[in-house]
Amino acid sequence: MTTLATDRVLTATGISRRFAYRTVLADVSLSLARGDVLLLVGPNGAGKTTLIRVLAGLLRPAAGTVERHGTIGMVAHDAMLYPALTARENLRFFARLHEVPDRERVDTLLEQVGLARRADDRVGTFSRGMLQRVAIARALLHGPGLLLFDEPLSGLDAAASRTLVELLMSFRERGTAMIIVSHEMERLGRVATHMARLAAGRLGPLESLAGRDPAAVFATLMQEDQ
Amino acid sequence: MGATLRAAWHIAVKDIAIEWRTKTAFASGLVFAVLVLAVLFFSRDPTAVSAQDIAPGALWVTFTFAAMLGLNRAFLIERELKALDGILLTPAPPAAIFWGKFGANLAFVGAIEAISLPLFVLFYDVPIWLRFGELVLVIAMATIAFVAVGTLLSAMAVRTRYAELMLPLLLLPFLVPPLVGGVQLTARLLEGRPLSDLAGWLKLIGAFDVAFVTAAALLFQVVLDE
Repeated sequence: MTTLATDRVLTATGISRRFAYRTVLADVSLSLARGDVLLLVGPNGAGKTTLIRVLAGLLRPAAGTVERHGTIGMVAHDAMLYPALTARENLRFFARLHEVPDRERVDTLLEQVGLARRADDRVGTFSRGMLQRVAIARALLHGPGLLLFDEPLSGLDAAASRTLVELLMSFRERGTAMIIVSHEMERLGRVATHMARLAAGRLGPLESLAGRDPAAVFATLMQEDQ
Repeated sequence: MGATLRAAWHIAVKDIAIEWRTKTAFASGLVFAVLVLAVLFFSRDPTAVSAQDIAPGALWVTFTFAAMLGLNRAFLIERELKALDGILLTPAPPAAIFWGKFGANLAFVGAIEAISLPLFVLFYDVPIWLRFGELVLVIAMATIAFVAVGTLLSAMAVRTRYAELMLPLLLLPFLVPPLVGGVQLTARLLEGRPLSDLAGWLKLIGAFDVAFVTAAALLFQVVLDE
């Protein structure tokens, strides 16, 4: 992935991370530019979630550096919301911490993720799919240049998955860089511009998907696990 | 500084709004306070020990353990859907999280104390009105010390599997100095002793306030780092 210095949104160099005596990430380097969408694949326990958390700044790497050229939004397994607050209250709270004007921005995002009608319901009453949509709105509040998704389609039904994939396509068209951890080739393969395999904490080369079938690239990458 | 205070304010308001809506910690804290005041009152032999003799101890045992319920809750609300990660992804500095939580905890403990105090008068028939201003000062000073260290330790305890058990174990040793000071000062105030008799203990609690608030604010960043 060759990038112009001005286009760069993220540069990670030599990232390592250990939990107790287990090495979870070993010398991972990665560079992402505007419009790049990296689909990160790999077996369970490969270190994908840890890598996402290190890139987001939620975990400190034991070695290496992460340069973030702009803001980051993240959607993880957990929605990072307060069940006792409504969708609107949750988003307003995070908007205020991001110091963005909360009212209009929140209403627009709730409309965008299809939750305008449930805006004043507590998120504790929401299904997994609805929580995921509020989490996406939360991640978009400050208009980040890089979005990190950890299994974004897990727990979503077909309709919600379709809506999310369309949203991701629109982010890509607007030049938002993304890293998506998922094995959902059928639905997310068409969003991605690159694919890479992380196994035993080591990141393989970034494969360009231009003119290639994502499913075939995925099959080739995953063969290495067998 | 302005941004930190603004973020702290938003965090405190959010915590108070959640507690106001759910009332989980407040209701249990209040029931606990009434129960302790009543049990201690009825457990003594009225012919051998007067209510006034055990009143200072009863007051501080009630405050301390009722407050513990609120302090536990402060970070448990962040754990449910990992909302704390959502805050850490915003530009709000760790200091804002500490001061926000500290403010909300002070409001919670203050509310429990404000309701428990008339009950204390009712059960123990103590003339607190004669030295009301001084008593409020003593309560406020001791409360600041244990809420500061309690806020720090609850952030630490919430990362363990048995958070509710861990907090009292970690917190109680730190509570001894302000608690002993609170009991001593309350006893002297209720006996009608002059202000000059209280100076030593007031200075001691004041010193603990400064030490605990400073140490907790400085160490909070370390606790948040994983």
